[in-house]
Amino acid sequence: MRWSQLLTLFALTSLPFATGCEKATDSNATAAHATAVNIDGSKFLLSEEPDGAIGVIAARESAEDGKPLVMVGRIGGAANPWIEGRAAFTLLDASMTVVTEGEEAEGAICTGDCCANERLTCTAMVKVVDAEGQLIAVDSRQLLGVKEADMVVVEGKAQKDKTGNFVMLANRVYIRR
Amino acid sequence: MFGQKLLPWDYGVRNLFRRPSRSALTLVGLTIVVLLVLVVVGFIRGLEASLTATGNPHVVLVYSLSSAADIENSAIPASTPTLLTASVDGVRKQHGVEYVSPELYLGTRISAEGMAEPGLGLVRGVTTAAPLVREQVQLVEGSWPQSGEVMVGRLVHSKLGADADALAIGREISFDGQTWIISGRFTAGGSAFESEVWCPLADLQTALKRQDLSLVAVAMQSSDRVADVDLFCRERIDLELKAVGEADYYASLQKHYRPVRMLGWVVVALVAGSGIFAGLNTMYGAVVGRIRELATLQALGFRRRAILLTLVQEATLMACLGALAACAIAINTIDGAAIRFTMGAFMLRIDSMAIAVACGVAALLGVVGALPPAIKAMRLPVVEAIKSI
Repeated sequence: MRWSQLLTLFALTSLPFATGCEKATDSNATAAHATAVNIDGSKFLLSEEPDGAIGVIAARESAEDGKPLVMVGRIGGAANPWIEGRAAFTLLDASMTVVTEGEEAEGAICTGDCCANERLTCTAMVKVVDAEGQLIAVDSRQLLGVKEADMVVVEGKAQKDKTGNFVMLANRVYIRR
Repeated sequence: MFGQKLLPWDYGVRNLFRRPSRSALTLVGLTIVVLLVLVVVGFIRGLEASLTATGNPHVVLVYSLSSAADIENSAIPASTPTLLTASVDGVRKQHGVEYVSPELYLGTRISAEGMAEPGLGLVRGVTTAAPLVREQVQLVEGSWPQSGEVMVGRLVHSKLGADADALAIGREISFDGQTWIISGRFTAGGSAFESEVWCPLADLQTALKRQDLSLVAVAMQSSDRVADVDLFCRERIDLELKAVGEADYYASLQKHYRPVRMLGWVVVALVAGSGIFAGLNTMYGAVVGRIRELATLQALGFRRRAILLTLVQEATLMACLGALAACAIAINTIDGAAIRFTMGAFMLRIDSMAIAVACGVAALLGVVGALPPAIKAMRLPVVEAIKSI
């Protein structure tokens, strides 16, 4: 083989090899979503809307710790209303709307820091629990098939403490569609 | 096309050596273009790698709800680590030690020996739990800082704009009215920590007259468990805490730098574009000087397509050699060069992606740069072309 052919081969074949070897990127960031849904979500869903539902603002004021509660609201009220990989989400009072950060409107909040205090009064954390009161370790979007801005009625018990923390422990969920 | 009579492969190669000065100049021009592409891609890749390497999917950062995702503005009670470990299941634990790192973090003016003016640096007050959570941190020289001491990341000198020798072990640096002795030097796998100064948490709290923390970094047993800390913070609204997975936190910072990255890719396109025009210019010159030769080849019976292919071969070969030279220069001189930016400092990264982009641009320069002048030369009638001077 002549020197010119050798030079050609060197230049052309070296390029692909010049990219070299590199460690594969870590893909375990997706592991949180890899949990298989092996819990039947239908047992947490109601086919008929329960009576006596009150809004989130009213529930925050009137609910008593450990007492049964039916609450209605819209999924949202936070930049990310979901707890990843858990059957828990933020519920916003139905009378409130969410606007883009920086905008102002009556009965509206944004997901920025400016509305942090307002958010506390009109949102509540909802945890879907089993018969033993344990939080279901499946993402609520997978378990219940809900999505952001869905209007839902949750039935369960209130969990409230003296410092103002309020959580709804829901046994059943009705999705208004 | 390939079934027809082609010119010998080494005809094109030999042609490169018939005009050595022209070939050398073309090679230098192509090398510079590819080198510029490598610098810009290396910048983008380095920035991305720095932020990606900093985020561990098992680690969750807990900081103040009102700090607007700016950890420097965060102030949370010193009791937060205890509260978290007592309330949340799934915190990583080994030999009775929980992987929870309380930290105080601030940006401040730091002066080192030989610096005309103090530089803006990043200081993190830590305990011995920090390396448990920040697994990428490795003490490569010296020892863990005791009271009145600090350890510095390997890119701190770049962040401060100081001489690397000024941050050698045993030297002194000053910030917040106190002088600290450098006890060690650490690396952190290319992450943003490498541009930080770490000192004992208690000492920093004393120096700043603060009793609170900026954040708590918690290592969970699995990335799935990060959600439990998030849930805790959102349930306990009285604590005004916010939990963000470390990987998500630095991914959100990457979004802030998206315009910079976009600008970088635009520069790559512009450099490649200008390189193609430079290549066109060179190839026009090269082809115009060979019109008689090309016409003679046609007269000998070689088809225009075959001659065109030889011209593309010559240009591509030259571009490939330019790419190899540029890659060799970049790997030996540019790779690892420190660049200062708001988050700290990062290193230019000539990785496989950067080299692949550079090689792609080189191939493009070779093929696209050679085609138009070659086509133009081929359009001339043979008789007319043979007579041309």
